[in-house]
Amino acid sequence: MSHDYSKLIDELSRGHRSRAILSKILEVCGDSVLDLSRRNIVIKIVIKAKCLRTALENIYKEHDLYLRTIAASDERSREGLFKLYYVFGIDSEGTNLVFEVPVAEGAKVDTISDLFRASDWYELEAHDLLGIEFNGRQMSRLVLPEDWPENLYPLRKEVSVEELKKMYQPQLISRVSELGVEEVVRIPVGPYHPALHEPEYFELYVRGEKVVDARYVGFMVHRGIEKLAESMKYDQVPFLAERICGICGFVHSTSYVQAVEDALGIEVPERAHFIRSIVLEVERIHSHLLWLGVALHLLGYDTGFMHAWRIREKVMVLAELLTGSRKTYGIDLVGGVKKDIDKDKIPRIKETLNVLRKEFKELVDVAMSVPQVKARLTGTGVLPRGEARAYSLVGPTVRGSGIARDVRKDYTYAAYHYVSFKVPVYTEGDNLARTLVRVDEVFESISIIEQLVDMMPGGPIKAERWEPQPMRLGIGAVEAPRGEVIHVVLTDLYGPYRWRVRAPTYQNLQAVPIMLKGVDLADAPLTIASIDPCFSCTDRAVIINLRSGSVKTLPIEVISRRVRGNG
Amino acid sequence: MVKFLKMLSISVREGTATRKYPFESPLVTPEFRGKIEIDPVKCVGCGACTRICPPKALTIGNEGDEIVLKYFEGRCIFCGMCAYVCPQKAITVSKEFELATWELGDLYDEVVHTTVKCRICGKPFTTVKFVKEVEKRIDNKVPEDLLTVCPECRKKLTARKIGSKVVGVSGE
Repeated sequence: MSHDYSKLIDELSRGHRSRAILSKILEVCGDSVLDLSRRNIVIKIVIKAKCLRTALENIYKEHDLYLRTIAASDERSREGLFKLYYVFGIDSEGTNLVFEVPVAEGAKVDTISDLFRASDWYELEAHDLLGIEFNGRQMSRLVLPEDWPENLYPLRKEVSVEELKKMYQPQLISRVSELGVEEVVRIPVGPYHPALHEPEYFELYVRGEKVVDARYVGFMVHRGIEKLAESMKYDQVPFLAERICGICGFVHSTSYVQAVEDALGIEVPERAHFIRSIVLEVERIHSHLLWLGVALHLLGYDTGFMHAWRIREKVMVLAELLTGSRKTYGIDLVGGVKKDIDKDKIPRIKETLNVLRKEFKELVDVAMSVPQVKARLTGTGVLPRGEARAYSLVGPTVRGSGIARDVRKDYTYAAYHYVSFKVPVYTEGDNLARTLVRVDEVFESISIIEQLVDMMPGGPIKAERWEPQPMRLGIGAVEAPRGEVIHVVLTDLYGPYRWRVRAPTYQNLQAVPIMLKGVDLADAPLTIASIDPCFSCTDRAVIINLRSGSVKTLPIEVISRRVRGNG
Repeated sequence: MVKFLKMLSISVREGTATRKYPFESPLVTPEFRGKIEIDPVKCVGCGACTRICPPKALTIGNEGDEIVLKYFEGRCIFCGMCAYVCPQKAITVSKEFELATWELGDLYDEVVHTTVKCRICGKPFTTVKFVKEVEKRIDNKVPEDLLTVCPECRKKLTARKIGSKVVGVSGE
């Protein structure tokens, strides 16, 4: 390494970890680094595609480093190239390390899925949506449906939304004419019944009662909202973002506005930060209560389920009082929020929180003392710490396996740096650990809201004006109830040029097969639910018995109520 | 005593949680955002709400000699952005959410505006109330072309003016 680098490294690094990583990268591929820069917590390295793998091979073992997201973008109209943005996090110093990789059309990028296992889906998705090719790995379709035509990459700029809409028409029109009617409504009802939960599909391979392997098929309702947002204006997208998830929508709108604010350097008033944090914590409480209810239901303890949701109702009413809606709060705007929390609501908030704390404690005490609940949570669905790290997992899933990763602490945002709170961590890695993390977090959230309400500053709730600029990169991350949500935004004049959303379940689902291996079939539904996949899931699962060769389909709830075989 | 039986006393204390809706009124807080209401008197048909509306539930367009602002509840996501941006405060968010109906037409609201016709091409291009509002706001100092010529004809007009100037300059 030549000595002129050392000054640059001093300038850019935010701690000894980023210093070590930067010097290693410059040492092995200094010639291929096209540009190095830092803005706030983001260190950006523009690196040639051919050297990306070499660089990462040298740093992937660094403690603390994990893959947060990969955003692929079509920038041929500007620079004649595709670009890949690899976002890594260094937890201990709260640094985002972004590798910007220009990729010429038709060129291939070396895979990193063996170094960072979480990158598997990102690479497949970049290939599906933008046609970027990767070397050294098997490619298969992930996001797009099986009957999608080859070589039509929806996120490429030359493909219009109108054109994509037509993709569903030819089939429909021919069907309708076959039926000889004028109007038909198509309702998909299938192995992924979208009744109450979201559609996911797991295949569990069992020997006797033990699960020996699991396969996941998803993305059945990939809606292409990233594409849709490219035709929307800055202040319209928060409402679209909020509809990504029906349970934790506010984290998505907040993540999006934070990404835009980061990209354009918008100063958000303190009061808006406080309001966002309060609402985010209200959302976490309702989500954890919902999850606890569903988990108890899957364990067959419906009394606990009913009481968890009875308590949750109070939180929903509080959310409505604060924002105007029980869910999809709709108060986030770029530069602030659109609804203030008036003084006269504060006693009501405190009163609700007091009742909540008391009743939730009561419920947890009782529910956790039910012998069956405890027995079925303990020791099932174990996720070892090493695997949790290797897969770059997030949220209560990783905190149940002994890693204290929490965006609120590590990459602090909104008003979280004003409050003191603990990040609950359990080391056992089983379903009980993940449950207890969430239980503890509810109490922490109650305390966070109480602190925020007491400290709330006055002043405006929205930045007065801000100027959009083209092609700025912004990153917004929020700790959602189920893990870290991260949005990457490339700006344009009226709205996002490219908007990359990564929800926590995207990261966590890839580890579910590990948790499932070796569990009893009866514990599989709870294990799948233990990552809190928005319980975005299937009502049905297919059981294939290797010994008898039988294939049968059962509703997932029936499996969970089956008695353990060898008990 | 077995601890989990404590749930019985909690259940007795809490009683029935389910409300007998629709026989009992639903719980809606004073902040609830339901369908919107457009005051046809205050609305000037500027279209600000249609440009911000995320699901495009609000649309504005020419229908014959009139300009019509349409609100389709079926698409509305009840975000209240229209009320937030309306410069005339003509839109209010109501608490009404029981919108089910047998008639699709019930889900549409319309505000019909009388129009100003372009003095060059004769096409209606804006509403009478909008022109009045603009005049009021900037104290009758608007160049007349802006209020009587449609944007497309204005473009041609401007192009012609610039053209004649350029020609004039080069001719000197």
